Amino acid sequence: MGRVALALLSLVAPLTMVWAAPYLPANDTQVLAELPAGARHASLATREITRTRLDIALPLAQFYIARARATGDLRFLGYAEAILAPWMNRSSVPTPVLVLHATMLQSRHLFNASLSELDRALAQNPADAQAWLTRATVLRVLGRYAEANAACGHLAAAADPAITTLCVQGLNGLTGRLPGAYAAIMALPQQALPPEARAWRYSELGEMAERLGDDRAAEHWLRAGLAVAPDDFYMRAACADVLLRQQRPAAALQLLSGYESMEPMLLRIAIAQRMLHDTAGAHSDELLSNAFTVEQQRGDAVHRREQARFLLDVSWQPAAALAAAQQNWQVQREPDDLLILLRAAQAAHAPKAGEPAREFLRVNRLQDIRLAPFGATP
Amino acid sequence: MRRLWPLLLLLGSAAVQAHIASNGFLVAKVQGQEITGSLELAVRDVELAIGVDANHDGRVTWGELRASQPQLRQYVGQHLRFLAQDGACTVNLGALQVNDRVDGSYAWLPLSAHCPSAVTRLSIRYSLMADIDPSHRGLLSLSAGKVAQTGVLGGATTPDFEVYAPSAWRTAVDYLQAGIWHIWSGIDHLLFLLSLLLPAVLIRRGRRWEPVLEARPAVFSILKVVTAFTLAHSITLTLAALNVVRLPSRLTESVIAASIIVAALNNVFPVVTDSRARIAFAFGLLHGFGFASVLADMGLPSGARLLSLLSFNLGIETGQLAVVLGVMPVVYALRASLVYRRAVLPWGSAAIAVVALVWLLQRALPPVV
Repeated sequence: MGRVALALLSLVAPLTMVWAAPYLPANDTQVLAELPAGARHASLATREITRTRLDIALPLAQFYIARARATGDLRFLGYAEAILAPWMNRSSVPTPVLVLHATMLQSRHLFNASLSELDRALAQNPADAQAWLTRATVLRVLGRYAEANAACGHLAAAADPAITTLCVQGLNGLTGRLPGAYAAIMALPQQALPPEARAWRYSELGEMAERLGDDRAAEHWLRAGLAVAPDDFYMRAACADVLLRQQRPAAALQLLSGYESMEPMLLRIAIAQRMLHDTAGAHSDELLSNAFTVEQQRGDAVHRREQARFLLDVSWQPAAALAAAQQNWQVQREPDDLLILLRAAQAAHAPKAGEPAREFLRVNRLQDIRLAPFGATP
Repeated sequence: MRRLWPLLLLLGSAAVQAHIASNGFLVAKVQGQEITGSLELAVRDVELAIGVDANHDGRVTWGELRASQPQLRQYVGQHLRFLAQDGACTVNLGALQVNDRVDGSYAWLPLSAHCPSAVTRLSIRYSLMADIDPSHRGLLSLSAGKVAQTGVLGGATTPDFEVYAPSAWRTAVDYLQAGIWHIWSGIDHLLFLLSLLLPAVLIRRGRRWEPVLEARPAVFSILKVVTAFTLAHSITLTLAALNVVRLPSRLTESVIAASIIVAALNNVFPVVTDSRARIAFAFGLLHGFGFASVLADMGLPSGARLLSLLSFNLGIETGQLAVVLGVMPVVYALRASLVYRRAVLPWGSAAIAVVALVWLLQRALPPVV
């Protein structure tokens, strides 16, 4: 009797267990969190000093923004914001604080807020090269190429001529002069460039080669760039896309291994796993959809492009993907944003929804071989 | 190579966490003037706010987090306030636990708040992490009755939340439905009732069951049993719901299971044959406590306590009556058959007893981990 009851009990018991409920760890030594540098309570003492010492506040805020870019960990942007906050509240805000604040906003994809911060900075110091460069970058992401070009023009006086060339030719490559721009940037001697511009040159070359339809060259440039700047997650994601387009998911996984904590990387991992019919894909999918849900509830738009691509390439929900791609189009207008909008519109059998992208392409004479199958040619 | 990669990835995937911005998760359920729920903060955020990593090795262990519980409570107490329409609510935090989410481990605190009066408008002052990470947000899920809403706390704005205050009619219907639903889904109460009803169409003569000849004694017998059960559980339900008497739920649930065993075995090895109404009354008292625990989970809205209690009880009786009306014609029709007297009654009752025994073991024994 007892045995029967226990057998019955073992059948019933699992049904009553609740998944992912709070629990009491069995062991005091169980590790709950690994703390990255700069994210410890002890660092608050240093932060306190930054309230009065600009010479400490600026490099620390810069460090946090750089950590956010390198790791994809959005908390670091919050830490940077906390350091800048007391300075932002002053009646006169130092120009470098405004520029860093704008950079933080740009990293959060709050492009318009970033632009108005840069306007303030440039009103205070019209010769601030960093402010002009950030402004050019933000305007380029927004697809406002003429204004971006004007911003590049202001660099000539203050920055290395190679920086100006990269700024201007990068825009030329998006506005009907792609082959010439590609040649001009290739002609820049790598060794003579300032260190921060080397990765930039490779990333421009990689993207241009992609748009010209030369994926082998694109992979070459992007891998060379990653050798110089392994932390550049933009280039790593771009390189993974080249590999995925060539049906090389294993190579993509190899490239992205160790970067799983960043949503854009995890997205490409999930796509590669799907191509490989890898069961680990289910875990990636769950992580991603959870992260997107939380972002949506917060009202953040940082990863709308990735969300659209996730809905299209991983969970295959064309209508939802199109909605996300349209929302993303309101935020940013890089070639990848055109691509996802056109792909989602086609998948959702709503070709009209892709019209803004086609119009954008005609107006700017943007050349991109990836967009051609969608009836988008300049 | 192609085969190696998924394997390597699988090894790493245990530690994979998707970076999302810093979020706290606040769950709040409003019942009259009481709020219950939980607060979750990422362990990483707790470290930054109050300093948990006592040995400074860059890792927070459960032991370290547990040791910091007093500071954590104090920190939460200072940065999370509930304001009802007519004043502040007093917040109490329960014992710390851990919850694993996709982006890491979270410190999980159960919370309860007592407000000056039934809450109709709620303002939540949430300033956790505000000075350390201004991008931190509290993701709120707020519910009252059947209405749920979500909100984002922290940042520049402090939103007010309208809390659903149902009409008296709506309350009555809700609790009536809950009562009916409980008796139908609470299969233990049904089995107890069934154990008492199965023999009601028979009479024990010597060592044999014989069918009653007329409908009248059968109906009378059923009426007695059902009335006794109803009377008894209504008494204890009322006493418990109004907080006059309280029993630990593990005890009530276990004794309810035991009551089913007793009632069912009495059909197999009859001891009490002529006054099942007394069994129904005695055990009905215990079943009342069981009903009350359901009601305690739902909460009695202040201002409509009696109405909702009455509606819930009425719901239970309605559900029960429906069962009786459904079962009785069938057993009355079958009463004379040998199958009913020799198989349905003894073996059906035995089966009920076995099921109830499993429940008893489940409820009385400490949970198997």
